[in-house]
Amino acid sequence: MIISLNWLKKYTKITLDPSELAERVGARIVEVESVTDLGAKYAGIVVAEVISAKPIEGTDHLNLVYINDAGVTKDVKRESDDSIQVVCGAPNVRKGIKVAWLPPGSTVPSSFGTPEPFILGTRKLQGYVSNGMLASAKELDLYDDHTGIIEVDSNVQPGDDFAKSYELDDYLFDIENKSLTHRPDMFGMIGFAREVAAVQGLDYVSPQWLIDDSLDGPTETSQELRVIIDEPSVAERYQAMVFDNIDTTRETPLSIKTYLARVGVRPINAVVDITNYLMIASGQPLHAFDYDKVMKLAGPSPEIHVRHANQGEKLELLDGRTIEMSTSDIVIAAGKTPIGLAGAMGGADTVIDSSTKRVIVESATFDLYALRATQMRHGIFSEAITRFTKGQPARLTQPVLVEAARLLGEWTNARIVSKMFEAVGTVRSFTPISLEVSRLNDTLGTAVSQNQIVDVLHRVEFSIIEESENTIVVTPPFWRTDIRIAEDVIEEFGRIEGFDSIQPVLPVRTFKAVEPQSFDVFRKSVADLLSRDGANEVVTYSFVHGDILKKAGEDLTNSYKIINSISPDLQYYRQTLTPSLLNIVYQNSKQGFDEFAVYELNKVHPKILGETHEHVPVERDSLALVVSAKKSDGRGNAYYDAKHIFELLTVKYRSGVSYVPLDENTSASYRAFEPRQSAQIVSGDGTIIGVVGAYRRSVAASFKLPDHTAGFEVDMRALYKLYSEGIQPYVPLSKYPSTQRDISLRVDTTILYRTVYEALSDALAVEKELVTTVTPLDIYSVQGSSTKNITFRIDIVSYTQTLTGNEVGDAMARVIKGVVAKTGAEIL
Amino acid sequence: MHNIEELQERLLEQVAKSTEPREVLKSVELRALYGQIGAIEPTERAEFGKRINTLKVKLEQSVAARETELLDSDVALIDITAPFDANSSSRVSLRSQPGTRHPLKSELERVVDIFTRMGFEAIESRQIDDDFHMFGALNFPENHPARDGYDTFRTEEGFIPPAHTSTMQTRILAAGKEKLERGESIAAVSYGRVFRNEDVDATHEHTFYQCEGVFVSETATLGEMLGTLRSFFETYYGQNLKIKTQPAYFPFVEPGLEFAIEKPAELGGRPGEWLEMLGCGMIHPNVLETAGIDSKKYRGFAWGGGIERLVMLKYGIEDLRHFESGKLQFLRKFA
Repeated sequence: MIISLNWLKKYTKITLDPSELAERVGARIVEVESVTDLGAKYAGIVVAEVISAKPIEGTDHLNLVYINDAGVTKDVKRESDDSIQVVCGAPNVRKGIKVAWLPPGSTVPSSFGTPEPFILGTRKLQGYVSNGMLASAKELDLYDDHTGIIEVDSNVQPGDDFAKSYELDDYLFDIENKSLTHRPDMFGMIGFAREVAAVQGLDYVSPQWLIDDSLDGPTETSQELRVIIDEPSVAERYQAMVFDNIDTTRETPLSIKTYLARVGVRPINAVVDITNYLMIASGQPLHAFDYDKVMKLAGPSPEIHVRHANQGEKLELLDGRTIEMSTSDIVIAAGKTPIGLAGAMGGADTVIDSSTKRVIVESATFDLYALRATQMRHGIFSEAITRFTKGQPARLTQPVLVEAARLLGEWTNARIVSKMFEAVGTVRSFTPISLEVSRLNDTLGTAVSQNQIVDVLHRVEFSIIEESENTIVVTPPFWRTDIRIAEDVIEEFGRIEGFDSIQPVLPVRTFKAVEPQSFDVFRKSVADLLSRDGANEVVTYSFVHGDILKKAGEDLTNSYKIINSISPDLQYYRQTLTPSLLNIVYQNSKQGFDEFAVYELNKVHPKILGETHEHVPVERDSLALVVSAKKSDGRGNAYYDAKHIFELLTVKYRSGVSYVPLDENTSASYRAFEPRQSAQIVSGDGTIIGVVGAYRRSVAASFKLPDHTAGFEVDMRALYKLYSEGIQPYVPLSKYPSTQRDISLRVDTTILYRTVYEALSDALAVEKELVTTVTPLDIYSVQGSSTKNITFRIDIVSYTQTLTGNEVGDAMARVIKGVVAKTGAEIL
Repeated sequence: MHNIEELQERLLEQVAKSTEPREVLKSVELRALYGQIGAIEPTERAEFGKRINTLKVKLEQSVAARETELLDSDVALIDITAPFDANSSSRVSLRSQPGTRHPLKSELERVVDIFTRMGFEAIESRQIDDDFHMFGALNFPENHPARDGYDTFRTEEGFIPPAHTSTMQTRILAAGKEKLERGESIAAVSYGRVFRNEDVDATHEHTFYQCEGVFVSETATLGEMLGTLRSFFETYYGQNLKIKTQPAYFPFVEPGLEFAIEKPAELGGRPGEWLEMLGCGMIHPNVLETAGIDSKKYRGFAWGGGIERLVMLKYGIEDLRHFESGKLQFLRKFA
């Protein structure tokens, strides 16, 4: 939203310079996104009078024009009569009019601030010298009218500075209005000026017309009309008046057009401009209907109804669209026929055009929540609805309509031909607010006096209706529909006084230490461990494209679907993290990263997990890792790489995990993994922690994975449970030296490694005197052979003596016997 | 001769058995069927075309399914209990690679750590929530215009990916009620991922991280809020800082403020340069009451800010999109 300082100055003094004011507004009212010096753009433009204009022969539209600038311009070639020669192509250039002349050296405003500003000079057109140019509204960057040059009002004299004459020596503040959605008053210059006065510590008086809204017009009516609010909830107040003698060719004074233009409103004709001008000034939108068109649609009884739309009812809007309405839209209807979508846009059937002789001007408020729904449903973001959805006060409709009547008379000679019609719905009630001075001080952490509070509230036109020891009862002015409770008044005081004057202090609290969440500590330790081992942590989006789920073989119906995303890539919540990780493997591999591991710790939301007691989806904290290498030579299956990395996490836990074939459920939950080359990780109590493995060939193909790629995905809460059951206890070191023995066992290839390992461990456990550690050294199998050789290194130590070679030998012989008995292994 | 259904069944059967299912798409019968289109009465042509199209789509789907099936068949069973594969001695040598934590995660941990040391419990926020926790409990009435500012996503079921970590506020307040009644205060931060339905560019993301906090006691003041926030940033940047505020509107606080710090020396700041860091305010009585806390007796303050901005300022990161890109070139800069 654009705020013009010169417009504000119509209602209040401004004592600060623009940059100081911007800072003050930023600190006390609302964020100022930018400040534009409008004066710089219009520097050097001079008002001139056309002395003569005649067509240049041989051209289809150029005129040779002589202008009078009252001699104010320096360094310009003048004729003997002091006039200046300009070539002008505008059809409306003629003797006697006053124009905006851009002398040589000035910049065409529409090119101002662009990379290539157009600076005027003296140049020849069709053989005739033109000193600068006469400007159109478009060239002046006022509004989009290039049909002719701008004609300056009669009260402005040749030689006058154009910018000064039209108060274009202005500063514009671009305001972040998203943070003003609770302040309907601030959507008008008057309301904004009131705030600006308050934060400067200046008094402010509302314009007389806003306070005294009595109508100086007929009390009897010559044009019949009834206005009816059918359902009290749809509108608080609906007022309307009828005018005749409308002449739509009448233009608004240029001084008003330039104000509309600078805040971004395009001038159209005097009637529309007046409604827009008052809306920008007061925040109260008005709408004008063609009276005769309305009456024709209304039929025999001249009635305007305000009601909910009927389901499916159609209306052609001013912008040419035909919309289908629902019962939560509010319509203005002539009799039974809709003629406007209330608060949003008028209908095409009652538009004001060149045939219009009489108009109805509407000033009303509507249910802001219904209007907001309408805005969203039909995508209407007009200046009017932006204001209506903030909840304009019903008190404002009358003064603004009365002022519109005055301006219509003054600028267009329109005549009031009716009384003020009015219908009232359910009016929001505002009860006086009781504020305890101590509560204000307690909330803000201040020690201000009752008088100070009263002073500040007076400054923003609050009425103090009662005052006693420690208590002030106030009513906010009618335009402050946002002030409802004591906290609102406290904010108002703090804001106007400046929150920055409050002394920052620290809360006084007990000395109790706060423990970090132990899950968070655990999660960080997991991340640190993986990163220390060379893996890279990534974060990827929580939502993915359906194609990514499909590539990973996941079932789309198990994902929560996003229905309103503006990006096609964000369609579904994730069921697992793995597909997102697989999706970034190829790009990195292509970038020349031959070997890497990436992991992510994040939440996943498979639908199958159901909902919590709060009826929101259950979330799962997941950890996924993908390890990938371009070449697999000599490394065997990538499964073992992934498993090795996962084991780093659990090696210290007191309770171990086992690796068993995937069951159907787990396979369905982790679809990307190849069941024949993956294991489900299971804890001692049977909890499934997750899956480690290689990916299906189809998955690898669709994600273009390098040959040697595998990974794991685990439920972090399940892993956390293992972790919280404790880690391996410390075992004191033995005083005696240890010794090592390697043994190689040949077994059938169908015998699992674990079977052999457990047999060995069991046999070693029988040797109570010895403390042993088993490490696998090698697994060897000739291609096509039915056997494999497994070699272990056994570290042996005693806590009571130094072991002799014989003692170790005897023990090992017993161990080997035990292993052979269990596994049928052959000792090598 | 229009017996498309019969042909379809036969071809699908072929696909299911074929080892080269795509060949079926080139079958003579199918081509003959396409050839018939020209000979069909114009009035029936559209209908015929539609049926052929259905057949084509079905065939394509079954070919793709069969190809996947073939690709995934005949995979060797491995010994999942072994520590390594037979005849293999080396593993992917990650040890030689620069392992890294993600900069957003490590910064978030640092922020949470400072608040923990200041006495705030930390609670991770949800990534999928409902309208009540996103808006209703936070004093945003149905259809309130302030909801527009949050550009929320929605799921088919009407769930909402939170647009702020404040979705946790009511939960934290309700859970802390007992503490208040014991005469203690509620002091907690919630952190996590939030989502806004926006186009992505170098300075806008639809997905980002926030950390927010609440403090409630019988005596909390706005001055204490300013003190707490200043203290946090002074610890975070390791220097004394000037602060300033500007009014802001968030329905769940009253008064509501934007909080800015003078740009720290660490970031090359000069006096008079300000950084907007977060939104904050005194918790609206309606929010306290919704959580079952007596707003006459207790008051509190809350704040919330983004993590990306801290990280970008710290390292001078030029493009917000790097964070979620998964690019190792980017990630390994944080070794």
